[in-house]
Amino acid sequence: MRIWATFLFTVFVFFPVSEEPLLFAQDGPMPPALSMGDDELQAKTKEIAKVLRCAVCQSESVWESNSTLAIQMRDIVRERLLAGESSDEIQAYFVSRYGDYIIFKPRFRGINLLLWGGPFLLLLFGGVILLRNLSKWTKPHPELPEAPSASLDPIDEKQRQRLEQELRKG
Amino acid sequence: MKGFGIWQAFLLIGLFGLVVLFYQGLWGDPTALPPVIIEEPASEIVAPDLYSGEEFRLSEHLGKVVVLNFWASWCLECKLEHKFLLAIQKRFESRADFAMYGVNYQDKARLAKAYLEQYGNNFKHVIDAKGKISIDYGVYGVPETFIIDKKGVIRHKIIGPVLGDSYSDLVENIIEPLLNKPESGVTS
Repeated sequence: MRIWATFLFTVFVFFPVSEEPLLFAQDGPMPPALSMGDDELQAKTKEIAKVLRCAVCQSESVWESNSTLAIQMRDIVRERLLAGESSDEIQAYFVSRYGDYIIFKPRFRGINLLLWGGPFLLLLFGGVILLRNLSKWTKPHPELPEAPSASLDPIDEKQRQRLEQELRKG
Repeated sequence: MKGFGIWQAFLLIGLFGLVVLFYQGLWGDPTALPPVIIEEPASEIVAPDLYSGEEFRLSEHLGKVVVLNFWASWCLECKLEHKFLLAIQKRFESRADFAMYGVNYQDKARLAKAYLEQYGNNFKHVIDAKGKISIDYGVYGVPETFIIDKKGVIRHKIIGPVLGDSYSDLVENIIEPLLNKPESGVTS
């Protein structure tokens, strides 16, 4: 009886019932993701799901949302990882279904280049305008007389005393 | 015009562009989503029939115009469009090159059957148990309707209920022209 109990305990604890195909029953070389441990798979799923936008939520990622669609999307990410697909391939799959909207970080291509490069272009544009104006402001005005190049005459004692008097008055 | 240089011209063009984008944003449809999978080959669907449990395969319907409607019993807008879907099926059911299927989305089979019993049913339905079909078709919510041509290419997508003008447009300007198009070049 004890032997049977131990056997059943071992079976249910170490070989839980799962819908996933048995990995050891597969033939041929093992795809890279199949060698992942649970923790690694979870971490990889999280990494990808955090980049994907939950299509039915307000600014929530597929990882953060508990909507049914987000849960189903997480399952698909996990399935595809197990099938050996890379992060890029999985993201590309979701983009092919929902468009660029589905990823939080716009991809560096096409019209998205404007999003990435736009702020830098505007900064450059503003900088050039600022530089041009600054150089204009610092250039001496052609119509104004030039500042006297000679040093000013020193003030005499009388003027100095008067200045001090005025300063004291406040 | 003294002092109006190339930089000012660029600045003006840029500002004009921003005003155009702003104007578009004001009057555009905020719910409009990019039609990503239009003109793309429809993904294969393998799913059980809601009633018989028999396997349905979309690829077996190549050579037909297929209307795929994603729906759920909890969806209020689906109830609004349901009689229009029945009308589409009734209008084209005699044609051998037409097929219409409902894809039951995030639902329970028992509730889906009760819904069909209440609102009527004249076409077949399959169950999307794990949401794979919906995600393959880029579905955001229900109802959504896809029109697939005889070559298996998605030609049209309607987000929201098919009723009123969208019903007439769908029937007269999309389904009928696709049905009347010669079948040459159907791939298998």
